[in-house]
Amino acid sequence: MTSKNGDHGSPQTSSTLKADPKPSAQRVPPPETPEAIQTRFRVIAAFWAVIIFLGFPIWWKTTSIYRAHLPIQEMADWADGKTCRPVFPLEIHVAAPTMQLPESQHLVRTTQHALDDLNEFAAHHLRLKLTNDTETSTAQGIDNTPITGSMMDDAPDTALTVRVVAQEGLATPRSELRADTTQLDIFYPPSQVPIPSSSNPPLSVFIAEELQRLYSEEKATIAYILSGGAAGRDSESISRRLRRSMKYADTYHLSFSLFTPGSAPSSWDIEAAVQEYLSPLLHAFGPISNFTIDTQVQLYATFSPMAPPPVYDETESAWTLKKEDLSAFINAAEWPLNPSIGNGPTLNFILYVPDPSQSPMVVKENRASSWIVPQWGGVFLLNPPLEQAGQSGSQTNPGHITQESLRPAFMTFSHQLLTLLGTPTTPASLPLRLQSLIRVRAATLLLSASSTMGSLARLTESLAAIPIPATVASSVSTTLAQLSSTCSHLREGRFGAALTSARIAETEAERSFFEKSMVGQVYFPDEHKVAVYLPLLGPIGVPLLVSLMKELKRLVAGWKARRRSTA
Amino acid sequence: MSLLIRLLQALALLLFVGAATAEHTSNWAVLVSTSRFWFNYRHLANVLSLYRTVKRLGIPDSQIILMLPDDMACNPRNAFPGTVYSNADRAVDLYGDNIEVDYRGYEVTVENFIRLLTDRLDEDVPRSKRLGSDAGSNVLVYMTGHGGDQFLKFQDAEEIGAWDLADAFGQMWEKKRYHELLFMIDTCQANTMYTHFYSPNIVATGSSELDQSSYSHHADNDVGVAVIDRWTYYVLEFLETQVTSANSKLTLGDLFDSYDMSKIHSQPGVRWDLFPGGEQEGRLRTVVDFFGNVQNVEIENANATDPGSLKEDLAEIARLVEKWRKRDEEYSAILGNSSQSQSEGAQSHTVQLSSKKPVGATKMAEAGSWGKRLVGLSVVGACTAVWVAGSILGRSA
Repeated sequence: MTSKNGDHGSPQTSSTLKADPKPSAQRVPPPETPEAIQTRFRVIAAFWAVIIFLGFPIWWKTTSIYRAHLPIQEMADWADGKTCRPVFPLEIHVAAPTMQLPESQHLVRTTQHALDDLNEFAAHHLRLKLTNDTETSTAQGIDNTPITGSMMDDAPDTALTVRVVAQEGLATPRSELRADTTQLDIFYPPSQVPIPSSSNPPLSVFIAEELQRLYSEEKATIAYILSGGAAGRDSESISRRLRRSMKYADTYHLSFSLFTPGSAPSSWDIEAAVQEYLSPLLHAFGPISNFTIDTQVQLYATFSPMAPPPVYDETESAWTLKKEDLSAFINAAEWPLNPSIGNGPTLNFILYVPDPSQSPMVVKENRASSWIVPQWGGVFLLNPPLEQAGQSGSQTNPGHITQESLRPAFMTFSHQLLTLLGTPTTPASLPLRLQSLIRVRAATLLLSASSTMGSLARLTESLAAIPIPATVASSVSTTLAQLSSTCSHLREGRFGAALTSARIAETEAERSFFEKSMVGQVYFPDEHKVAVYLPLLGPIGVPLLVSLMKELKRLVAGWKARRRSTA
Repeated sequence: MSLLIRLLQALALLLFVGAATAEHTSNWAVLVSTSRFWFNYRHLANVLSLYRTVKRLGIPDSQIILMLPDDMACNPRNAFPGTVYSNADRAVDLYGDNIEVDYRGYEVTVENFIRLLTDRLDEDVPRSKRLGSDAGSNVLVYMTGHGGDQFLKFQDAEEIGAWDLADAFGQMWEKKRYHELLFMIDTCQANTMYTHFYSPNIVATGSSELDQSSYSHHADNDVGVAVIDRWTYYVLEFLETQVTSANSKLTLGDLFDSYDMSKIHSQPGVRWDLFPGGEQEGRLRTVVDFFGNVQNVEIENANATDPGSLKEDLAEIARLVEKWRKRDEEYSAILGNSSQSQSEGAQSHTVQLSSKKPVGATKMAEAGSWGKRLVGLSVVGACTAVWVAGSILGRSA
C-alpha cells in the first residue's frame, strides 16, 4: 500500500520540486571533463583503427581470390593457329650408286620438280636429298627402327631412303618397298637414265608418283587433322579410323584376359607370349607411348543372360555368333574388366576359350575369330584342340595353353593394338607406318595442347570467381615454350624431337587445365552475400557508425565554436 | 514433279548431314541422387531404376557414374533388407547382384560432383570414379533430390546452384568433354535448374516449373514410404515398355511427347535452344543415343588383303618379332664371345632372377614369443605397482 501511495505521490512531489530550480540543476548530468571526452575519442578512434588497419586488410586478403597472371593473348593466339602453322617437310635420301653424279643430281632435281607439281597440300612436302655415301645409307636403312631416328642431333630425321638401281631386262621402272626397313628400291632399265637436257624424264615422274603414293594416306590424315575434321578427300575412311583409335595418352595400360566358361584352361604361358610376340612391337612404339601390362585368368565366365547365345551351324560345323550380337558378347557387368590399374587408359584384350560343348566358335558372317571394339580393345576366340577326358569320353579343353598356341592370338592382338593406336594402314612397311604415326601424333598433340590453352584462356576470362594458382601459370609457360619448340622441330623436319616436345606440352596443358584447386563451386548471387554479411555486420556496424557520426558532429561543433571565438 | 524430286533430294541431304553430325563414339551416364535418409527412399529408387535401364541398354558399369548418398538396402528400417524397389509390386529388385556405386554416402557432395564433371580430381583417384568422356561422348546427366528455385540440395547440408551447374557444363564443353549432353532433373521447380546453361549441344529436361512441386508416384505400404517420383516413373515407363532394345529407333521427340501433365501433375519442361538446329534437329536424336551405348565392332576378315588388314599386319609383326629374336641372338653371341667370367656373371644373374621367391606372409618366430610375454607381464606389473603406490600415498595424504 505504501508503495502504491508513493507511486501516486511521486508526480506530486516532482511537480512540487519542479518549482524549485536548484534540484533540477542536479538532474542534468555533470559536464564531461575534457579528459573523458578525450578518452572516448581515443576509444572510438582505436576501434576504427583496428577495423581499418587490421580488419579490412584481413577481410580483403581472406576473401580475395588469387589469380596468377596468364598470357591470355598468347594462349588465344596458339589456339587460333596464329602463332604456328605446322609444316611437315620430310627428308628423303636418294642414293643412285649406278649413276654418274651429274645424272643423279639431275634426277633428284627433276623428281623434286615433279613432286612439287603433284603435291596439293603445302604443309606436307617431301624434300629429296642426294646421298652418294651408299654404304651409310643402306646401313641406316637396315638399322633404322623408328626409335633411333636421330633424336639428339640437329639433323632432320630421314624419313625414307630411295635407292635407284639399274637393272637389265626391264621395260619400265619398278619399285619395291622393303617391308622391315625404311628403304624403297627403284629398279630402272639402264636405257632410261635421264639425259641432262630432258626436263621431265619418265624415271623422275615414276619416282615422284611412287613417293606420292607412299605418303598419300599420311598426307590426307594430317590435312584432315589440321583442318579440324572438315570434309576432304578420303575424309570418311580417315574419320572412321580416327574414331576407332584411342585418344592419345602418354601411358596405355594393356590388360590381357583369358576368359573361359568352364574350369579349363586354367593357365597360359602368358609371360613368355608377351615377351616373345608383343614386346618387339611395344618397343617399336617406345617414342610414341609407354605401356603397362597386366594379365588375368577368369574361369566360369559366362555370357550375360541378355546376350543371344551362339547357334550351331550345320554347314560350317561350328558354333556361330552373329555380327550384330557381338557387341553383347562381352559381359561387362560380370567380367572383371577395366581394372583401373595405372594412370593411363586401359586397352582390353580378351582371349575367349569357348566351352567344349560350344567349340569351335566363330563369327557367322566370315568365319573370323577376332574383332575390334573401337576405343576399347579386342577379342580373340581361341578354339584349342579338345582332349578326351578319362573313361567317360567327354571332351575337355586343355588345362594349359602353351606359348605356341597363343601365337595366333597374340599376333592378332598386336594387329589390334596397331589399329587401336591409330597407326596408318599404308605404306606396307611397319617402320614407315610408325614414323608416319609419329608425325600424325605430333600434329594431334600440337593442336590439342593449343586448343587446351585457348580453353584455359577463355575460362579464365569468363569465370572471374575461380582461383588460378601459380602452378597453373608455370605449367602454361612450360606448355607455350614446348609448343613453340615443337613447331620449330616440325619446321626443321625433326619429328621425333617434335613429338617429345609435344608430349610434354600436352601433359603440362592438361595439368594446367585440370588443376585441382580451380573449382569454382560456390557461386554467390548478390542477395546471398547480403544475407551472409548483414547479420554479422549489423550489430557491430550500427554502434560503430553512430558513434563515429556523433564524434564527428562534436568535432565539427567544437571547431566551429573555436572559429567563432577567434573571429 | 521435278520440284518434288528436288525437295526429296534436299530432304535426303538434310538427313544425311544429320546422320553425319550425329556420330558419337562412346556413351557416359552420370546418375545422381542428392538426398539421404529413409524418407527419401524414392530418390535413390529413381536413380537405381535409371541405372538399371542404361545398363540394360548397354552402357557398361565403367561408363556409369552412380552417386548414392545413402544405402537404402541396408537401412535398418527397410522391411526387405538388401533390396530396393521402385514399384509396390516389388517385381524388380533394383539392388540386385550387380551394382557398382561409385560415390556413396558422404562422398556425394557438390564439390565432388563438380570435380567429377570437370575432372579436377587428384591424380590418385581411380578411373572408376572419373568421367572419362571426350569430344565424341554423349553424356546423360540425371539428377534427383530436393530442390528449389535455381538450386538443388545435396545431403541436407549444401546446395548446388544453377549457375555452378552451368559453369561446370561450360567447362566440360571448353575441354571437349562431351559431344552432346542430355540433362534430366526430377525435383521441385526442376526447370529452373537449367535456365543458366550456356554451352552448346545440351538438351535439358525437367519435371516441374517454377513454383511447382514434383510429386511422388505411389507408396509401398510395406516399405512404408513413397518408392518413386511421378516424372521419373513415366519416363521409365516409356523407356521400359517402348525402348526394348539397344537398336530402338525412338527419338527424344517421342520421349518428350509422352509427357502427360495429367499423370505427372506438374509441367515438365524441355530446353532446346542450346542444341544446334534447335528443337527440330534435337527431336531427331534417338533415345539410345543417350541411354544406350554405341559399339560398332569391327570383325577382322582373315582373308582380306587390303592395306592395313589383319593378314598384312600379321606378316609385318611376325617380321618384327623375327628381327628382334635375331638381335637377341646376336646379343647373346656377343656375350658368349666375351670372357668366361663375364658369362658366368650373366649366368649367375639369370639364376638370381629365376630364384626370386614370391613374398608371402611371414611366420611368427616361436623363439621370441616368451621374451615378449615377459616384457608385457613386467609392464603390466609396473603399472599396477604405480597405481597401488599412488592410491596408498593418496590415502595417507
